[in-house]
Amino acid sequence: MALLVDKLRPRSLDALTYHPDLSSRLSALASSADFPHTLFYGPSGAGKKTRILALLRSIYGAGVEKIKIDARVFATSTGRKLEFNIVSSVYHLEITPSDVGNHDRVVIQELLKEVAQTQQVDLNARQRFKVVVINEADSLTRDAQAALRRTMEKYSANVRLILLANSTAGIIAPIRSRTLLIRVPAPTEPEICAVLHHATATQKWKHIPALNERIARESGRNLRRALLMLEAVYATTPDPTEKTAIPPPDWEMLIAQIADDIIAERSPKQILVVRAKLYDLLTHCIPPTMVIKTLCWKLVDRVDAELKPEMVRWAAFYEHRIKLGSKVIFHLEAYVAKVMRVYEMFYAGMGLDLD
Amino acid sequence: MPPDIRNFFGGGSQKPSTAAKKASDNPAPKKKRGRKVVDDSDDEEITETKPKKAELEKAKSKKEKPQPKIEETTSSEYFASNSKAKTSKSTPIRAKPHENKTTRNVDTTPSKPRATNGATPSSRRSTRNIPARKYADNETDDKARVLDDDEEGNDDIHADEFARKIRNGQDDYEESDESHGSPIRHKARTANGTQKQVKVPTKLKPEAGAEMSGAAGYDAPGEAKSAKEKLTAPSTAGRKRKSKSAELEEDDFLEEDEVPKKRARKTPTKATAKKATKREEKEESKEMQAIFDSIPTVRAPTPPARDPNNKYQYNANQHHAPPPGAGSKVPPTGAENCLAGLTFVFTGVLDTLEREEGQALVKRHGGKVTTGPSSKTSYVVLGNDAGPKKLETIAKLKLKTINEDGLFELIRRLPPNGGDSKAAEKHAEKNEKEEKAIREAAAEMERTDREAAKAKAAMKVGQDGHRVTSSASSQQRKAPAADSRLWTDKYAPTAVSMVCGNKGQVEKLQNWLRKWHNNAKYHFKKAGPDGSGVFRAAMIHGPPGIGKTTAAHLVAKLEGFDIVESNASDTRSKKLVEDGLRGVLDTTSLLGYFSGDGKKVEASKRKLVLIMDEVDGMSAGDRGGVGALAAVAKKTSVPMILICNERRLPKMKPFDFVTWDVPFRRPTADMIRARLKTICYREGMDLPASVLDALIEGSHSDIRQIINMISTTKLDRQTMDFDDGKAMSKAWEKHVILKPWDIVGKILKSQMFAPSSTATLNDKIELYFNDHEFSYLMLQENYLKTQPALINNYSGRERNLKLLEFADKAASSISDGDLVDRMIHGTQQQWSLMPTHAVFSFVRPASYMYGNFGERVGFVSWLGQNSKSGKLSRYVKEMQGHMRLRASGDRHEIRQQYMPLLWQKTVKVLQDKGKEKVPEVIDLMDSYFLTKEDYDAMIELGLGPMSEDNVKIDSQAKATFTRMYNAQSHPLPFMKASSVVAPKAAKKVKPDLEDAIDESDGEELLAENEVKEDEEEDVDLKKDKYIKAPKKKHAAKGAAKSAPKGKKRGKKAADEGGDEVGDEVDDSESEEEVKKPKKGAARGGRKGKGKA
Repeated sequence: MALLVDKLRPRSLDALTYHPDLSSRLSALASSADFPHTLFYGPSGAGKKTRILALLRSIYGAGVEKIKIDARVFATSTGRKLEFNIVSSVYHLEITPSDVGNHDRVVIQELLKEVAQTQQVDLNARQRFKVVVINEADSLTRDAQAALRRTMEKYSANVRLILLANSTAGIIAPIRSRTLLIRVPAPTEPEICAVLHHATATQKWKHIPALNERIARESGRNLRRALLMLEAVYATTPDPTEKTAIPPPDWEMLIAQIADDIIAERSPKQILVVRAKLYDLLTHCIPPTMVIKTLCWKLVDRVDAELKPEMVRWAAFYEHRIKLGSKVIFHLEAYVAKVMRVYEMFYAGMGLDLD
Repeated sequence: MPPDIRNFFGGGSQKPSTAAKKASDNPAPKKKRGRKVVDDSDDEEITETKPKKAELEKAKSKKEKPQPKIEETTSSEYFASNSKAKTSKSTPIRAKPHENKTTRNVDTTPSKPRATNGATPSSRRSTRNIPARKYADNETDDKARVLDDDEEGNDDIHADEFARKIRNGQDDYEESDESHGSPIRHKARTANGTQKQVKVPTKLKPEAGAEMSGAAGYDAPGEAKSAKEKLTAPSTAGRKRKSKSAELEEDDFLEEDEVPKKRARKTPTKATAKKATKREEKEESKEMQAIFDSIPTVRAPTPPARDPNNKYQYNANQHHAPPPGAGSKVPPTGAENCLAGLTFVFTGVLDTLEREEGQALVKRHGGKVTTGPSSKTSYVVLGNDAGPKKLETIAKLKLKTINEDGLFELIRRLPPNGGDSKAAEKHAEKNEKEEKAIREAAAEMERTDREAAKAKAAMKVGQDGHRVTSSASSQQRKAPAADSRLWTDKYAPTAVSMVCGNKGQVEKLQNWLRKWHNNAKYHFKKAGPDGSGVFRAAMIHGPPGIGKTTAAHLVAKLEGFDIVESNASDTRSKKLVEDGLRGVLDTTSLLGYFSGDGKKVEASKRKLVLIMDEVDGMSAGDRGGVGALAAVAKKTSVPMILICNERRLPKMKPFDFVTWDVPFRRPTADMIRARLKTICYREGMDLPASVLDALIEGSHSDIRQIINMISTTKLDRQTMDFDDGKAMSKAWEKHVILKPWDIVGKILKSQMFAPSSTATLNDKIELYFNDHEFSYLMLQENYLKTQPALINNYSGRERNLKLLEFADKAASSISDGDLVDRMIHGTQQQWSLMPTHAVFSFVRPASYMYGNFGERVGFVSWLGQNSKSGKLSRYVKEMQGHMRLRASGDRHEIRQQYMPLLWQKTVKVLQDKGKEKVPEVIDLMDSYFLTKEDYDAMIELGLGPMSEDNVKIDSQAKATFTRMYNAQSHPLPFMKASSVVAPKAAKKVKPDLEDAIDESDGEELLAENEVKEDEEEDVDLKKDKYIKAPKKKHAAKGAAKSAPKGKKRGKKAADEGGDEVGDEVDDSESEEEVKKPKKGAARGGRKGKGKA
């Protein structure tokens, strides 16, 4: 009894409900003998992975669904042991190099070469090459991406790569030029509503279009999220109506609390209170950029119109710093201090001229 | 002087006791006896005192030409001339000692030959005439001793008093005294100036004075005295003296009495001595007096009235302004040691000097600086805003107050070594005395050295085959050629008395060692008076360089133990400690049975003591050494002395309650100085006390370091001045690395950035480098907890605004600092940016937020949070790894989107619905390949409303869940290679589950067996491939049948026992499992497979 989002996942290109153009192009690709390296990119919850799996299935047949997980151990140059999970079927192999953080280069170098140097074992396979799916390609380090460049050309006889990224920004140009870029846009709200409707139908749940629309809007056009929200609504309230609140995820609630704290009192003491909560978020694996972004939006909801641009401005400023720096909490705290000060100055009628 | 005093008291008390014995076999304490006797027979006493008085009188009247008179006559004279005596009070006491001597001599002739030394007592006797003979002998001895001492001490005493007077600043008195010499004057003086000093004696015997006076009255009539009484009398008289001095009005005769006994009562002597010394002073120190007089004094402001409600705000002064005219005046350089003997107190803010500078200035010129004014203070250097308490004291004691200019003037005008002023003289005398002691010590040292050398030489001779008897020849061989030993060895103490400081501790240690074998007889059951009897080992701990090792060796040597030593140069791992010590612990020393040629066998040497030095140096290479050593210390059959620097370290914990702790402290400057002077003397060096003090202070009383410093200096010169000493100790300074707490406390304290602060930017950066990994983290942790000093001038809304402004600036500076940090620790490795980092992340934020701490300094929470986030992100990764076959999201999506829903559907459901829903939950988990650990991780990963603290699953639901989960087999996507072996054991210890187990032992057993079976099948299925679970179940079953070999292999790997056949393995496993049933059973098997 898996969750809806996984249970209802379409498994073939034909079953995909939206982006029909893309689906047809993919099936054309699959049927051709030549399959290029590809880079799928698009926001999360748009259906990239689903499309890739469907694509693989149409290339190799149902065999790709017989997958297993292998744990491999790699040694870094310093002798540290890295554990690494590989999901694989006979025809393809799926890796997430960012699992090993900064050592992803080792994995890319060793693993890819190893795979590339062996030929397809199954003589009945429809294609001579194997496919390596690289998840989170945009978080690959530069080194790892550089290691990828030459491999992609040299071993193209045996291996095709499918890279998966949220945006192409993190991918170096040489790689972009070696791949076929396939953009998977987020589904539109009506498309999401359609999916939600389908989902409720399979579950024999009451169909509430207004609720679905709300969910689609709240989900930020993230289909995965929308489905999970839908299920959450039905899980918490057995008999939902149009007005039923959509339970926000835990971390979002905490960030909302932080925003309230900041508005309620502005003092160094309060910064300490907020710091504890920020620490909580960070330790519980909420990425800092997500924290600062969410916090910013929550603050924007709560402040005067004139202050909104300031909130965003500083959020952007410190988000950049989070990327540049190493100790995230420093920048988050600086943002909080800045917001408090700006807020206080504004309400003291002093204008927003800092310094 | 102190020795004299001691002698005096000792002597004084002895006398009465002996006397008492003879007179009446009264076992009562001496003092009492003395008194009693007096009470019984006042008359007799009187007679006793008379003679003395008489003598004195004579002396006075004739000034230093004592005439031997028959005592009787003198006494009668005396009685007659009571009034006279009064007038003559002012006669210089100085003369008296001489008189005494002379009288003594005269007296001695009539009395016994023995009495030559202690003439006075004998004279007394003679006065007593006929009766006293019997005890006289004893007495004379005692007294003689006392008297001798007195004579020696006389000069000193005068000097002392002189000095005191000067300090008290009673020039007027002196003058007047001189001119009149009237007793009344004297009184006044004492009243004002010496009150305190006088007090001491009065305390001792307040009644004595009264008695005496009474006695004096009797004197006139009294003729017949029993010898005994006489004997006791002197002692009482002595005591009375003291009281007298307090109440000077008493009779002249009292004073006269004093003379012989002067010495004995330190304080009383002062009073009397003053008179005498006055004159001296006058004569000697006219110029000095002129100088002293010419020093402009400043009237101390009247201390503000004490308002009990209004507490003096010490904090108010905390960031007092810098000296207003800082640097405008150049402090003078005076003659060397010109402030010798003077004591200064600084209070308030001086005009141009920082207080430390002022103090250094005084010290450099040989003066002494104390923190609180007292009667011994010569000058108070007064600045602005002096503390009210100090002003009060000044007013009370009528101390001389000068300002900075006065101090400069003093330094400019005083001749070297303080000229011939009283203070200087006293100082000089004190020095002389010290010198004498030093010379004696040096001589002693030399003697022992020589003896040692002799012994050595003798031994050598013996070894050479010569006969040892030719002691002459060996003697001729002079001391061995230049001693090549380090000074620290050369001058290591050879007797307890030579140890600097910690004498009590050394003695305690010695006692312990002495009684050790005795204690051993009682199996260390008897604690003994100091509680040391139950310990087989002692632990000396204290900072380096204060003689711990030396003390241990010394004590062992003195107690005749043979020493086995082990220190950090030996490897001391657990094994080696155990093996190595086994050889030592049950043995006795060979030295108890054999010895070198020509030496006697010393039976006492048979005893062994084990000295374990540098115990806290047991570290990386000495794994388990501390524990092993502690274990040995518990049952050793040989005394052990362990030595370490830091007793409280966690790694020294095993020694708690095992060893007897003997803490050593840093000796005081005085203790060290004496020893150092001795050494300098022996080495022919001349180091002034101020230099030694500078060294002592600079090295934090590390004797070893100071000796090394001196010995280094000796290489190229003979002396050293104050600044050299300072410079040297600065150069040799042990840099103390501050702890993170201290660092942040220092940088954030309000003085650091106050305008008056002398700390430069570099100093602040230096602070950061005390611990560059922690300092900025500590600052970040604490910078918001201060009351920033910068906002003190604001109030209301503006204040809050300012506060936020500073907080914001500090925070953004820290943020800047982090960017620099990244450049340093990131790929760029630009270590040269460290100072930049220091400024951005440490100094600059502190410059905004410095101020008083409102709360405790907290420790860096970043570290804990960081490691926690590491742990939790591992959980998420694992969850994602498990869910991967089903869910397409990456780990962030899993955490942010799946987890809240999964939590709702598992944890929340269990919490709300209880155990009925357990199967559903397990089903959901299985569908995502989530394990029980993932479930726990999920609970831990909750935030805010979902946080772990808010999860309250009722124990029955929990138990059911656990049981059911364990009872079933679960699909498992794969096994982590690393989790196969180690973590399994740890995971079994989940306390929650214990209830469940208890509740259903029987069931569990059954369930377990079933599980076993399942498992076996499972095992087969999984044998080598981590095939996707659902499919596995079908496919694998087939595989199991076809490939039993693979299965076996897997099992073997799973069980370290190895060789057994699969079934057996399972059995043994199941038994274990029954005891601690958990999810474990099923997993155990599977994991094994994974490994294979």
